[in-house]
Amino acid sequence: MIKKKLKLKFDFVSSEVLEKKDLKSRINFILSKVKDGSILVTDGTMSPEEEMDLIRETMRRVDDGFPGIEVCSLRKEPKGLRGFLEKISDQSLKIQKIFTGKEPEKRKLKDGITLIGPAKLIKKIKRSPDSFSVLAGI
Amino acid sequence: MLNKFFNWLKGIFGFKKTISLGIYGDVNVGKTTLANRISLDWTGETVGKVSEIPHETRTVQKKERVEIKLKNNKKIVLNILDMPGLATKIDYRTFLKYGLSRAEAKKRAREATEGVIEAIKWLKNVDAVLAVMDASKDPLTQVNITLLGNLEARKIPVIIVANKIDLKKANVKRIKECFPQYPVVGVSALTGRNMDLLYEAIGKYLVKGG
Repeated sequence: MIKKKLKLKFDFVSSEVLEKKDLKSRINFILSKVKDGSILVTDGTMSPEEEMDLIRETMRRVDDGFPGIEVCSLRKEPKGLRGFLEKISDQSLKIQKIFTGKEPEKRKLKDGITLIGPAKLIKKIKRSPDSFSVLAGI
Repeated sequence: MLNKFFNWLKGIFGFKKTISLGIYGDVNVGKTTLANRISLDWTGETVGKVSEIPHETRTVQKKERVEIKLKNNKKIVLNILDMPGLATKIDYRTFLKYGLSRAEAKKRAREATEGVIEAIKWLKNVDAVLAVMDASKDPLTQVNITLLGNLEARKIPVIIVANKIDLKKANVKRIKECFPQYPVVGVSALTGRNMDLLYEAIGKYLVKGG
């Protein structure tokens, strides 16, 4: 009997790659990788609104072969001057949105780590406030 | 847009009488049971059907003008919006385990994905939210974290409802530890335990000048 080798593919993507893309292309990039069976890891986190957009777009793409995604992000809250500057930046993006009626084209990712993978492969994510472990299998 | 402006104006002057209260959360945490409990307590009618099969609620279910009376005799009028459960994955095969045919399971899965999209869309229209969590399960899920982050970004007031405290494994303390910045009320929507505490919390945290 020939044993078939089962493989998991991880893609480690720099946050800069995602930051260069606007929100729509960013979500397309993530979902095309995940739909292809990759588990994507990046050194940044999206905003909660962007994560909700990712969930919404995932639901649009669910089909018999793709039941959806598992996602886990750990955000590192910036402190001191950096935190203050980030708040100002967030506020200016909100003001921009009020005046233009549109989401800003490109947004920097927040400090942290995100893992997104196909729900078919990721069996369980166990998280605590500052770490997470992933059980994956085929 | 104009409607939003008038609501905002009414809110500022304290004239807003009716609050659109969204009931959000993961799948099978007891959102419809909670909506039914609130509605039964004050109107004698239910909002929706409850089932052990996930994604029983696949469209937004509404119960309008539910008037609740607080201990200080103040009245609040709520439009209760029972939302489909939020999820990052919906696999039709899950429903086969509950005895549904393949065709029924696929239909249910398709409707459930549409339900999640609808629930997310409704975030723009709610004044306040009850974020329901199953107190017997791990609350640190991505759905809970993303939901609370969105509510915070939109400045929508929220109470975390730690539901199912009638279960042995229920651990309300753990939810409070995980989300210390939010008010948490432990209830059993099924038995009605602590619902009085929830109504007082709605008056305190979700109503302007409450």
